[in-house]
Amino acid sequence: MNRNVIIALLLGFGLLTAITVLDLLGSALDTDLLPFLSDRLTATITGIVLAVGLSALIFIGANKLFNLAESHFVVFFAVIGGVLTLALFGLLWGNQLIVSPVVVILIATLIGTATGFGLGVVRDRWQRLGVGLAGGLALGLLTGSAIRSTAWPSIDALAVVIGLAVGAVIALLSWQLTRRRVALLPLLFFWLALGWLWGAWLAADLTGSKAEASVAAVVLGLLLGAWAGTVAYPDPSAKKQIALGSRKYIFLAPALLFVVATLVIPLSRTIWLGFLTGTPRNLEWTGLSNYADIFSDPNVLDLSNWADVFTSRLFWGAVVLVLIGLGIGTWVGRTSGSGLGSFSVSAGTLSFIAGGVILVGFAVFTVIRGTISNNLWWIFSVTLFAVGAGLAIAVLADRSKGENIAKSLIFLPMAISFVGASIIWRFMYIARPPQNDQTGVLNSLWVQIGEWSASDSASVVIAVIMGVVILGLAYLAWRGFSAGNNSVLGGSIALILPLVWLIYRFLGPGIGGVIVDPVTGEVMANPVLFLTESPWNNWWMMVVFIWIQTGFAMVIFSAAIKAVPDELLEAARIDGATESQAFWRVTVPQIAPTIGVVATTLIVTVLKVFDIPKVMTNGNFDTQVLANEMWQRAFTELDFGLGSALAVVLFLGVLPIMYLNIRRMQQQRA
Amino acid sequence: MTTKHKSEPLAARTAKPGGRPLGGRVYGFLRSIPTWVLWLLVIVWTIPTFGLFVNSFRTRDAQRNSGWWLAWQDNANGFDFPTIDNYSAVLGSEATGGLWNGMLNSASIAIVATIIPIAIAAFAAYAFAWIDFRGREILFIATVALLAVPTQVSLIPLLQAYATGVHFTLPILEKTVTIFPDLDLAGTIPAVWLTHTGFALPFAIFLLHNYIAGLPKDLFESARIDGADHFTIFWRLVVPLSLPVLAAFAIFQFLWTWNDYLIALTMIGGNREALPATVVVASLAGEFGLREHLLTAGAFVITLVPLIVFFALQRFFVRGVTAGSVKG
Repeated sequence: MNRNVIIALLLGFGLLTAITVLDLLGSALDTDLLPFLSDRLTATITGIVLAVGLSALIFIGANKLFNLAESHFVVFFAVIGGVLTLALFGLLWGNQLIVSPVVVILIATLIGTATGFGLGVVRDRWQRLGVGLAGGLALGLLTGSAIRSTAWPSIDALAVVIGLAVGAVIALLSWQLTRRRVALLPLLFFWLALGWLWGAWLAADLTGSKAEASVAAVVLGLLLGAWAGTVAYPDPSAKKQIALGSRKYIFLAPALLFVVATLVIPLSRTIWLGFLTGTPRNLEWTGLSNYADIFSDPNVLDLSNWADVFTSRLFWGAVVLVLIGLGIGTWVGRTSGSGLGSFSVSAGTLSFIAGGVILVGFAVFTVIRGTISNNLWWIFSVTLFAVGAGLAIAVLADRSKGENIAKSLIFLPMAISFVGASIIWRFMYIARPPQNDQTGVLNSLWVQIGEWSASDSASVVIAVIMGVVILGLAYLAWRGFSAGNNSVLGGSIALILPLVWLIYRFLGPGIGGVIVDPVTGEVMANPVLFLTESPWNNWWMMVVFIWIQTGFAMVIFSAAIKAVPDELLEAARIDGATESQAFWRVTVPQIAPTIGVVATTLIVTVLKVFDIPKVMTNGNFDTQVLANEMWQRAFTELDFGLGSALAVVLFLGVLPIMYLNIRRMQQQRA
Repeated sequence: MTTKHKSEPLAARTAKPGGRPLGGRVYGFLRSIPTWVLWLLVIVWTIPTFGLFVNSFRTRDAQRNSGWWLAWQDNANGFDFPTIDNYSAVLGSEATGGLWNGMLNSASIAIVATIIPIAIAAFAAYAFAWIDFRGREILFIATVALLAVPTQVSLIPLLQAYATGVHFTLPILEKTVTIFPDLDLAGTIPAVWLTHTGFALPFAIFLLHNYIAGLPKDLFESARIDGADHFTIFWRLVVPLSLPVLAAFAIFQFLWTWNDYLIALTMIGGNREALPATVVVASLAGEFGLREHLLTAGAFVITLVPLIVFFALQRFFVRGVTAGSVKG
């Protein structure tokens, strides 16, 4: 025998054995029949080997099998017969319709294999029909005797006639539709079989006798046998077509099966469940009331304080920043005459405007509260900060010393789980009672600063140090001014202003995490409760996410920056562009599409943020997000309807991004 | 304006005509700022992880007494440092942590949920790239578009399927057909395998397809002339040539499944025996204060495997993350 045939046969039997072993293993582990497997390590390894081996067997087996279609048609057909019968009876078993399933399935598979073998050998039309009918009869008898009494149909003649008639009509119609290119008989028998199945079994009451069950099964078997028997024996080119044409199905079927079973069907079912209400076992139609509940709940979206946006300091700070940014941009654009029109886009103007946008966002999200507002705040901050920081670090690190070490340390949090990161940051945010030492880095620093500002001598020392730094910066600003270098000038002034403010705070009203008793003058530590003080606790959790995702953005931007052709930059420099002009006019437009990709990827990731709020606050203290709300509703309160509706809201959130992604893919592939 | 050459210093080129150039020392100072800022950021980024690492070797009382940066005073204050007590407690029995069990479960989940999607996706990516059939384009775009679908939309139906099977009631006939039998998968590791496999496929297919579709066409044509069928081409040519991208995806998926919390928590739920390490540690975190000293060791243990994988195979991991995004 050919080596491939042996392999194919071995694979087939291996598959069967593996399934049996897996099944036995499941029951054995419960009853502890196999003591050596109770060791967890062994069990883990066994599980891994079985799962991997099984999927490898199916893949390689299917390919080897269809390789046989051209060379060893008999074997191919035999295995196909066996596998089809196995699948069919497996379905019956799964529906718990047959008694002593293992024996019946083994016998059925043998019959199926034999029939397939026969059809692979015999070429004469009538003999083929005979083989098919014999196989069908045997399988029908087997089914009739093994079927459970709960599935004995009481055959209704009218339903049978209707079923057969409809089957015949469908067969004839589809034959016409294919312009009679396919053989009529197999088509007819196949649809008659389905019509019989419907009429005699599915449409019938399951209150019949064993005789009726046998009749129903045998006729069904005969019709299916006739279908198999009337399929013409393939000529060599048809065999080749079987071997070639089947590949796309073999290669794609597992992937599509999984995608449909875990994404497409569950998605549709979740949409459906969103319209239901009740306990998991008793769900009833309720229309849009789940959605009405979601959007009328003040915990989900609370707009009542919206007017406070305009009284918040953040908002007016933002207005000032944007105005400064616009002013500088216009002024620089006018004087240098090299801007876009009369407006100069540079790091300075952009950082003012971006700072303004961020402040406006924070002003809005700290005033408008609720789950949806939290989610939007997450998307807003994480996307902006991760993209900004990632881009900045990628630029800073580009071609600097130790670039790779720096980049991998920044990227490192990407490898850490959200759970791990949440715990790491909980230790950063710890607030101990005021009388104890602070053990979290942030509160320790904050309280220390407070103590310095409360002590007269320390605050004077700090003010003097900062004064010296300001003098240095002023010198730099002057050098920048006399050299006509706006970025040096602007950068220095931008640093001087906050330092002046800090000196004022240190010498004047004080800064940092302490309370000074107005009467006794006693200094008490006043740590920030990072995770419990609403609304800013949301922001401190976003910091964790930004800490993780900046590495992602950085790596991608870094690759994109390195992909910008050197000739372009060189050409810009030769035309007299400064380094910063070359960056803003050449590099940024080149990597703009990448910024878009990173931003959309981040939005999708942030929208479904779950682990961090779950582990850090579990949605308490006004930090609820949609994904955690969905999880609590669905899996702790077992309200599948409301949980599904919340999941649908999440899904609606990603729809625009899906649309953008599809558009982008179509453009790339066009 | 005169044309300036690249080798001239930045200050000279940024000077306005007629302005005085920045001095060499000032220029050198400015020049070094980006590097300083970069390393400052690196330190800021590393401190949280480093602090956790130090704390994990300190006793409970030492952790509550002072910050990790004062660990060097621990022995003077009467605390044991460094100590591995936290690690042995958290890895040990169920009562103190039970993390060793969780690590085994994590390994089981991550290894299988990495290998199976790779195999399935590689086949599909090859078919999408090199087998011609009708509707290929639409099918591919539809599959990859699912990449953005949030996991949450599938959780409830999938858990139902694992818990009670999938039954479909035929309309009009009022008969219920079982499509997927009740295998009692809810609360078991295979349920997590299946879920991860399905969710990983759109990204896996997208990533592998980009690479496999870019392989030179001549290769396939000459192989076909030599009489090789699709399976042989796939096995003998595509798989060996795609090893870098397969490795990239494998590492990405391994870290993803190892770090996963949501799917394991949902699908395994209350079955403590089968919970992976992330869920075990997160449930430790739920009782913050009581055993928080163990949390440091626990968080570091679950981070250790990703860190090793990350440092050993960083090149591939970075490729996996970037390949999907740069120029598609």
